[in-house]
Amino acid sequence: MSTLSNLSMTRRQFLGAAAAGAGVFVLGISLPGCAKVDEQGEGVINAFIGIDENGVVTFQNPFIEMGQGTYTSIPAIMAEELDADMAMLKVVQAPHGPEYRIMFNNTTRFTGGSFSVRSSYMTMRKAGATARAMLIEAAAGTWSVAPGECTTEPGVVIHRESGKKLTYGELAPLAAKLDIPADVPLKDDASFRLIGKPVKRTDNRVKATGEAEFGIDIKADGLLYAAVKQSPVFGGSVQSYDQDAVLKMPGVVAVEEIPNGVAVIADQYWRAKKALEQLPVTFDEGDNADFSSKSYLEKLKAALNESGVRVEDIGDAGKALSEAANTIEAVYHAPFLAHQTMEPMNCTALVTKDHCKVWAPNQGADFVAKVAAEITDLKLDAIEVITPFLGGGFGRRFIMDYTAQAVTLAKKHLGRPIKVIWTREEDTQHDHYRPMTAAKYRAGFDAQGNPLAIQITTAGEGPSGRLNPEFLKDPTIDESIFEGGPHQPYGIPNKRADVVSVPVKPLPIGYWRSVGNSQNAFFKESFIDEMAHAAGADPVEFRRNLLTEQPRFKKVLDTAAGMADWKSEAWQDENGIKHAMGVALHESFGSIVAQVAEVALDDGEIQVVRVWCAVDCGFAVNPAIVKMQMESGIVYGLSAAWSEEITFEKGRVMQSNFHDYPILRPDQMPDVEVEIINSGEPLGGIGEPGTPPIAPAVCNALFKLTGQRVRSLPLSQYTF
Amino acid sequence: MTTLMINGKQYELDAEDDMPLLWAIRDIAGLTGTKFGCGIGMCGACSIHLDGELVRSCMMPFGAAKDKAITTIEGLASEEGLHPVQQAWIDKDVSQCGYCQPGQIMAAAALLWENPNPSDDEIKAKMTNFCRCGTYLQIFEAVKQAAQHQGEQS
Repeated sequence: MSTLSNLSMTRRQFLGAAAAGAGVFVLGISLPGCAKVDEQGEGVINAFIGIDENGVVTFQNPFIEMGQGTYTSIPAIMAEELDADMAMLKVVQAPHGPEYRIMFNNTTRFTGGSFSVRSSYMTMRKAGATARAMLIEAAAGTWSVAPGECTTEPGVVIHRESGKKLTYGELAPLAAKLDIPADVPLKDDASFRLIGKPVKRTDNRVKATGEAEFGIDIKADGLLYAAVKQSPVFGGSVQSYDQDAVLKMPGVVAVEEIPNGVAVIADQYWRAKKALEQLPVTFDEGDNADFSSKSYLEKLKAALNESGVRVEDIGDAGKALSEAANTIEAVYHAPFLAHQTMEPMNCTALVTKDHCKVWAPNQGADFVAKVAAEITDLKLDAIEVITPFLGGGFGRRFIMDYTAQAVTLAKKHLGRPIKVIWTREEDTQHDHYRPMTAAKYRAGFDAQGNPLAIQITTAGEGPSGRLNPEFLKDPTIDESIFEGGPHQPYGIPNKRADVVSVPVKPLPIGYWRSVGNSQNAFFKESFIDEMAHAAGADPVEFRRNLLTEQPRFKKVLDTAAGMADWKSEAWQDENGIKHAMGVALHESFGSIVAQVAEVALDDGEIQVVRVWCAVDCGFAVNPAIVKMQMESGIVYGLSAAWSEEITFEKGRVMQSNFHDYPILRPDQMPDVEVEIINSGEPLGGIGEPGTPPIAPAVCNALFKLTGQRVRSLPLSQYTF
Repeated sequence: MTTLMINGKQYELDAEDDMPLLWAIRDIAGLTGTKFGCGIGMCGACSIHLDGELVRSCMMPFGAAKDKAITTIEGLASEEGLHPVQQAWIDKDVSQCGYCQPGQIMAAAALLWENPNPSDDEIKAKMTNFCRCGTYLQIFEAVKQAAQHQGEQS
């Protein structure tokens, strides 16, 4: 149980966020397990809520907003218990520091892994409930009545009997002086007015007027701009450059080396970019100039015949396969993918001799602070991190390469803020890519067509082992390359899965929306479809029969099939165009999602007409956002399945911009229907689980339309 | 020095004529609602109105905008309040990350100018800006709502 205190440290760390003058009530929550990192011996606190004299509730969000709705869902949970008026809520990003590490027993803080709501739900409720109790106590004290005689309406404490009222703004200075109560009771779920309701987004107005500030929009006095060119070959380095060739160009301030490239700094971004284009620079290509994705794919395929590390072993799959009446086998692979956030990588930094301010779009303020401290040799408390809105994240903004560049440059130009902006080309060619992966699936059936065994071998390198080896339970097993393949709910008596590590180093790989699930759901759900076909069964019926012990999965599947009015066979529409449905079911990040895709083929051209999506995330804290995230996840997965692929030749990325790395266009957008199942199971994530099922659902429909089995993506490489 | 007229206000800008209008608007005039997305005129994040025409400002040299009236997202609202398209965007909670939305809104406003009552197919064909968050269905809905709202007002 949390204990609570409003320490002076909290007040200081609440920043200027809430015009933190006199009368601001700041609530901090001290969480168990944090005391060990406290340097002041007072318990580490998380300051989330500030109320000023006008009743404006400033909420310091430990989670960043990159589209997924955290600036609405998270404060709404708090506001439910505080009984705050959402219209009086101001959401700001919390600074870096241990006070805001509220995830995983208060050890970390980041925005990703679809963790935000599910990891903070109770913390936010307690924070709101405690603040409300203190406001009530302050009012009761003023009126000389018992707190139990008082209640609240949004933003107001009311004395029931007399009808006397005081606003939260009036009470805030008094409440701030009170001791923080422990074990404040929480609301009954039945009385929720915000949780479980489609609360409107808090950021929709500023995003419709152009006022929303993204990292690329940061303004600062004396701002300089930097354009960067990094070694086209990964692992390469700058050999030489001729700065004299550009130093006299208009506005150019300096040419500087950065870790794996060069930067031109100028008074305007365009001038920096133009000078960079004219800067003679040669790179030492290093050891990787012979890398190609084609040869890496051959390595992956060869590795599928090696014995790897066993990650699942139920029954005796080897024996069952050798005794099976019928077996099938298929090899799949999926390409490298780029994130392609709409806002290209950028960062602004200002370094002085004892302070460093960084404006960085990021998925973890602590990561920014750490990189900035390392580069500047300043202590963490001398680093100030400002996190604006993110123009997309999708896992890209965990990696601090662009931040390191801005801080490196700002350190060389003390007192001048410098904004680094990557071109789309730089962004595409220096991403941290979803790793290419290959997998071999085998299944065996008895004479009646019942599945006896499934055996999976996955080959590749996962991002976790590279970026966060501390996350691995076993250093030889990196789930992020095979997650979503093995450990499936289908009731097949013998299951075996192996993983073969095929390092792709030093090519940068990273977390891409839904991580390993993004490729392994495609392999697994395509293969389940192949199994259904081999067994002569309808794909929905085949899955249902394997889910008799898994009612939760079965319900999600049945819901999606019901929404779609599932059709087992292809059909022709009134224009003679052939349509078919495909299905996929996948659990990731604690949520189960089933999707049915209706696909049409018009003269060889694919049209994804409609997607029906059922999701069980335990409980939808904001059903409107859950629906939007399902749609968003579907678009992200469909875009990749349709046309996205990063290829390497001679160690270089061959794509550079949207013309050769096409993302889903509006005219390709299917209709989407979403149904939420509130099962009451533990909260699941919502930002990512919509992505994995769409590729196999579409490919399974294409099989029905064409008889052609899609075993690698993207679809744009096929002729139908 | 070149004079540009942006949102009814004069800006004196010191820049080379080949600088894309996008960067003049953002970094010199300081109007950062117009976004940089691709620099090759594909994504539409930089969409603005130039003498009433929808333009991708990353592809237009700054010099070519002299003597023309530029409207950016910051200038879309009038004294009476938000533009109907902006209001529809808020009512429909269209935005997710929001980065592409100023461009989407400028494109929608231009579409409704040309065609006050577009069909679903016309909306799908004319709204060509990219959105990586996948808000397309909400965008289509909001355009329809704005069209309806404008129709009721006129």
